Amino acid sequence: MSHGRESSGTAVITANAVRKTFGGGSVVAVEDADFTVRKGEFISLVGPSGCGKSTLLRMVAGLLERSSGVLQVHDRDVHGPSRSVAMMFQKPTLLDWRTSIENVLLPTEIAGRVGDDDRRKAMELLDLTGLRDFAFSFPSQLSGGMQQRVALARLLQTGADILLLDEPFGALDEFTREHLNVELMRIVAEVDATTLFVTHNIGEAIYLADRVFVMTPRPGRIAGIVEVPFERPRAPSLQQGAEFNSLVSDVRKIFEGAK
Amino acid sequence: MTETADLGGRAPRSRNRAIAAKHLAIFLALIVSWEIACRFGWLDPLFFPYPSAILVGFWRLYVSQGNIWPHLGLTMAEVLAGFAAGSALGIGLAICVGMVDRLRRYLKPYVIVLEATPRIAIGPVIIAAFGFGWTSKTAIVMLVCFFAPFVNTLNGMVGVEAEKLSMFRSMGANKVQTFTKLLLPSALPEISAGLRLAMASALGGALVAEFIASNAGLGVLITQYTGTLNMTSAFVCVLTLSALGYFIFRGMEALDRIVVFWSDRDRIDAAGRRRKAAWRARMGDRA
Repeated sequence: MSHGRESSGTAVITANAVRKTFGGGSVVAVEDADFTVRKGEFISLVGPSGCGKSTLLRMVAGLLERSSGVLQVHDRDVHGPSRSVAMMFQKPTLLDWRTSIENVLLPTEIAGRVGDDDRRKAMELLDLTGLRDFAFSFPSQLSGGMQQRVALARLLQTGADILLLDEPFGALDEFTREHLNVELMRIVAEVDATTLFVTHNIGEAIYLADRVFVMTPRPGRIAGIVEVPFERPRAPSLQQGAEFNSLVSDVRKIFEGAK
Repeated sequence: MTETADLGGRAPRSRNRAIAAKHLAIFLALIVSWEIACRFGWLDPLFFPYPSAILVGFWRLYVSQGNIWPHLGLTMAEVLAGFAAGSALGIGLAICVGMVDRLRRYLKPYVIVLEATPRIAIGPVIIAAFGFGWTSKTAIVMLVCFFAPFVNTLNGMVGVEAEKLSMFRSMGANKVQTFTKLLLPSALPEISAGLRLAMASALGGALVAEFIASNAGLGVLITQYTGTLNMTSAFVCVLTLSALGYFIFRGMEALDRIVVFWSDRDRIDAAGRRRKAAWRARMGDRA
């Protein structure tokens, strides 16, 4: 592996035969998920809708209890939300009556008292996501892309070292999404977080990740894992290269093999 | 963003004044044509008195005799007390129901039955129970004012996006935090709309209650005056109610703009500026 940063790290998420069924066991949403995510790694979960990628993410977040199997974060069994894991959704989920900075401070408020250090940190995070000038704007005054930047700053304000992103830029236009993907890579590298990123876009999944977990539906399972060897930082032009295209076809082959 | 804020500001004062002048002109034209219609016998002044006579009636009822005041005061007191009690009960109960799923299931059929029952039908029952005085009127207003705030508060709380609730859960928020920081503010626009609806029906509820059986209040006054064909004074009462209804409506609108400030462009700009100033005062200029 030519990318050293993550391969040497310790395991922060471990899944062993994780299974999730709905409707009293009649619908299998996730079947026998086995994987390890190491510290600082960026993992993309890619697959068509209904392949259980969001379900898997929600189990890691502690929002959804698994039906069976072992799921550990920082060597502790996951039962409910934890301080070290934070999640971002497809919708910005901002509170309309709060300014950007107040939205960013929400996790701190929920965790306890807000001090001036927290306020400074929140402002720095808005700076990091390029929104310092909009710190006192309300969500209705921001574009969709800017709203997701606020949500990203809020995600980082939690102080969690594991970030779960469920198609965070899926509702945005192509140009905004690409731009935000570049920003996201820069930001998670800067805060040194471990990231699980759910998407149904193969190119996006490869471009962002150190490893791509390819998921197939009915029942939802991880059909294969593709290593992405590119060095960081990665330029957007990378996506036109032959090596990139061969990775795309690797992912496609896994989908086709599963049919 | 502060630079663009002034572009969408409200109309300049001179334009507002021009609009007010037009309204006044139309109003005066209406009054004059009414007066003319009476003078030429197109309207029967026995049932539709001269505007000039009504104006004199206003002077009599409000100033020289001043006999409208106790009735006006009583009706207003019934309206305000009934509105306050009814909407507080509606909102409070909706919050309880909204926070406890089980309660929602058990209470739902009763709420539907209550909604289906014409509230006025319960009027005589309440008067029989509470007597002819202000308590029964207040109770009827309360009943009229209960439902809209109840339903709207519940809808507002239940309608919060699932993703926002997930976000709160993932942050480890407890029930109280989820309520005060998410559910209640999310429901505020609907609660405010419910209060507007309740207030709109409160005045009507009080009057109908007074019509049914009462010894004082504007409703009683109207019945007495029309019974003796003193239409001028009856009109004074009706127009008083129109004015009351108008001011109540505008008051509720103003309240809505303050409470739900984030749906109003001007207010949102002002709020942003205020919060920025507060931040700078606290954190220093590096904001």
